[in-house]
Amino acid sequence: MNLPDRAWTLLNQALDVYADSPRAINWLRRHLARFTDPLRLAVVGAHASGKSTLVNAIAGECVATEGGQGMAWYQVPPVRSQSPLTLIDTPAIGPDMEPGAVESICMEADAVLYLMGHPHNADLAFLRAVQDHPVARVAAVNSVAVLSRADELGGGRVDALISARQVARKYRKEGELSGLCQDVIAVAGLAASGGRTLTDDEFELLAGLAAAPKEELDPLLLSADRFAADPERERLLVRFGLFGIRLAVTLIRRGADTRAALSTQLAQRSGLGDLRDAISLYFTDRAPVLKARSALIGLDVVLRMEPRPSAAPLVAELERTLAGAHEFHELRLLATVSTGRVRLPEELREEAIRLAGGYGLQPQERLGAQVQGPPLRQAAAAALRVWRAYSENPVFGAAERHAARTVARSCEALITEPAP
Amino acid sequence: MMASPWLDVLDETIQACAAQDRADLVQRLRMRRSELVTPKVRVIVLGESSQGKSQLINGLLNAPVCATGDDVTTTVPAIVEHAASPVGALVTGEVTPALESADRVPAAAESVTAQANKQPGVVRAEVGLPRKLLESGLALIDTPPVGPEVSELTRATQSVLPQADAVLLVSDATRELTPAELDLLERASTLCPTVVVVLTKIDLVPGWRLVAERNRARLAKGGFPATVLPVSAALRLAAARSGDSVLNEESGYGALVSYLHRDLMGQVELLRRRSVSALTRMTVDQLVVPLRERLSKVQDSATDELTARWRAAGRQLEELQRESARWQTVLSDEVADLMADLDFDLRDRTRRILREADEYFEVADPAKDWDEFEDWLRENLKAVAEANSNWLLDRFEWIARKLATQIAPHRPEVFAPETLLDDVYRNEVGDLRMPTVERFTIGQKLFVGMRGSYSGLLMFGLATTLAGMDLINPISIGAGVAFGAKSVFEERGNRLKRRQATARTAAHRHVDDFFLTYGKESKDTVRLIHRELRDRCTAVAHELRAEISETAKRIKQVIDAETAQRGTATRELTKGIEQLDLLRRRGQALAGMSAVRGLTA
Repeated sequence: MNLPDRAWTLLNQALDVYADSPRAINWLRRHLARFTDPLRLAVVGAHASGKSTLVNAIAGECVATEGGQGMAWYQVPPVRSQSPLTLIDTPAIGPDMEPGAVESICMEADAVLYLMGHPHNADLAFLRAVQDHPVARVAAVNSVAVLSRADELGGGRVDALISARQVARKYRKEGELSGLCQDVIAVAGLAASGGRTLTDDEFELLAGLAAAPKEELDPLLLSADRFAADPERERLLVRFGLFGIRLAVTLIRRGADTRAALSTQLAQRSGLGDLRDAISLYFTDRAPVLKARSALIGLDVVLRMEPRPSAAPLVAELERTLAGAHEFHELRLLATVSTGRVRLPEELREEAIRLAGGYGLQPQERLGAQVQGPPLRQAAAAALRVWRAYSENPVFGAAERHAARTVARSCEALITEPAP
Repeated sequence: MMASPWLDVLDETIQACAAQDRADLVQRLRMRRSELVTPKVRVIVLGESSQGKSQLINGLLNAPVCATGDDVTTTVPAIVEHAASPVGALVTGEVTPALESADRVPAAAESVTAQANKQPGVVRAEVGLPRKLLESGLALIDTPPVGPEVSELTRATQSVLPQADAVLLVSDATRELTPAELDLLERASTLCPTVVVVLTKIDLVPGWRLVAERNRARLAKGGFPATVLPVSAALRLAAARSGDSVLNEESGYGALVSYLHRDLMGQVELLRRRSVSALTRMTVDQLVVPLRERLSKVQDSATDELTARWRAAGRQLEELQRESARWQTVLSDEVADLMADLDFDLRDRTRRILREADEYFEVADPAKDWDEFEDWLRENLKAVAEANSNWLLDRFEWIARKLATQIAPHRPEVFAPETLLDDVYRNEVGDLRMPTVERFTIGQKLFVGMRGSYSGLLMFGLATTLAGMDLINPISIGAGVAFGAKSVFEERGNRLKRRQATARTAAHRHVDDFFLTYGKESKDTVRLIHRELRDRCTAVAHELRAEISETAKRIKQVIDAETAQRGTATRELTKGIEQLDLLRRRGQALAGMSAVRGLTA
């Protein structure tokens, strides 16, 4: 039985055990209902870190307004490249936030995007709080840090995102951040949301700017003050930021001369593509596992708040489930391998990600072979042998050998368990 | 050079440090003094990472002297000063508190900071540039970012902070001042009182005016009326490239340069005063703390404990008074009990002896058995005397021990029974005189017998004469003989009884005598020991009293001495603190002497 099924069974068993407690029943029913809902992704950050902007960028619509109070929920319907998602815009993290706000965010969200400025100055207390739960510690697989104003990090130059990506790459491997989140991703929030929600009028305006002679436009683009002198341009500035406008103009001049092309290019260049890939890889593709994780946390809360003798088997079963949940290990593995915290040779790295389900959870997808029945098992057994050998290869470091063991365990599951 | 008031204050501060044996402070202040007397002004550029500190300096100098990057780039401080031609040097060696000193390796001016940031073992970079801005002695110091955690970089920055004459706190316009930055500002301003907040990257942010306004409000609310100067290094550098003076104006650097020129370099004297004021305040704070601690220690700790002990001694004396009276009562009670017990015992024993003696003389003939009786009686009386006096001694021993445990448990020898009872006499039973017991001699027997035989002879002779017989006939003779024998026999019995009575009386009298004599002596002994014990009790009480009074006296002396000493120490410490306070006030006066336009917002 895989993890989501187990979690589902456990919740239902808990319903029987707590049949006489309306509060517990209510709580458990809510978690059962959450199981089938889309994944809930909370966007969290300090004041003015770009939460609403990023929500808009991910949603592809201007749904969130700035300065909203409390948690705001937005449904993102499935589109070609994105699974359904529930985005939660949260109140600003900071010294003046309400007590218990962090806990309630942790309880409501299945996954978290934590927005920060420069990682060197970042306050990691929130990320620590997210992992501060017995179940969460076992499965620290639900958060990604976002450098949400990456253009400012690079001083607003057109190549700002390139250097911001380098900063993100450095911090995803080093320091405390690497233990607290699965990945660090740089996004120029305004350019991203502007790109995703680009209107025809805005495109016309930008195209007009791009068409202007260089010597006329360049002085204007020097500073926000100069650019905002005209009210129309000021609106553009609010929507795209100076970096976004510079980028858009450059992109149009280089040939992205339709609205759709510009929109795509902006999303790509602003780092939104990376972010959406990360959301897919770490969160939506593995939504059942994250749902199961949230459900287990919910169950643990009930078991701890209302302990009773008849619940003892449930407690034991919960512990067993957490200790044996290979899905969490796979998620950690995906994060460590794809962020480079574990350094495997390129072809092994690809294979590890594939076997751990990074490109799809079906056995065929994992094994990269369109076969069925016994040949599939043979292929899995072959992979298992190879990865067992890697797990004992002295050339690899301890972290790499550990990763290889996890991959081997995934192969074992392919042999022993029925297809999900 | 004209003697300046700030120099006087600084020298006095150094003297105060020397007076307090703070060689470390003296050394630091001397070093600082030698810096302050030169016309050089050190302006430190401080801030969190990626706020544009290095770029700010580059903008000021219109040259990329400080390496910039998007992540943490600056890892060691870099000092930019005036030089006739561009020079650079890497400074290696120990991290010393002074900016001058240590080993230098020459390097190219353009790349020296980049090298310094990468090369291990480098403490700082030094750059000399032929710039008009630096000509008057301005030195700009680029620093590593100050982070939320105390890192190596933060420490490197803090090591140069005390040498600064002014601080430019750099915060970019993308956000308002964070609590961490305000905290940094507060810490920096204690070390260096001239602080300006530079708001960078204003070209990027449309709403930078609002941010600047909010920052000003927040600073005013926090009690730091620091100037906020908005600048854009990007515009400044672009202006320098194109020679566009309008753009240069927009960059905000004009205000910054004029601040450095007019408000810092033009007010060196005021800067010095402020620096010395801050230095004095910091130093005085450091010096005053131990003095205040000592003062409060002197004031409260001192004689509380001693006074308590002194009072306790007084209470002990009173208690001793009561106790010693109680001891005497205990003693006399015990002795009275003992007397009664002894008396009863003696009486009881002698009566038993008398009863036995009486029984003895029921049958025994004193004439024959007196010697034996006498031995027995003497033995018995001796035994009585011994038992009784042993008892007495035992009881006194017990009493002595009881008193010892009550009065002088720590000095058992005072009531040691051995010393106490040594001289007590051991009573000997006196000689028993033989009672005058008459002997029944042959003559008397004969006379009594004859008297009895005669009366018998006469009686039977007269009777037989009635039967016609002679008065003297064989019958009467026979009767006379029989009667004579009888009266001798009877006489002998009477005499025995009399003798026995006499012997009993003699025994009684003797025992009585013994009772009286021994009783008297026994009582004397009791009184003797009683007195001895009483005297010892009194002596112990006296000794204890003397001891306690002596202790109390000594405590009092100590208290008096210490009070006097404390008074002196308090006066000295208070004077020291007052002097330091005065010094601090003079320091404060230096800073406030003339609030020059522009330096205070």
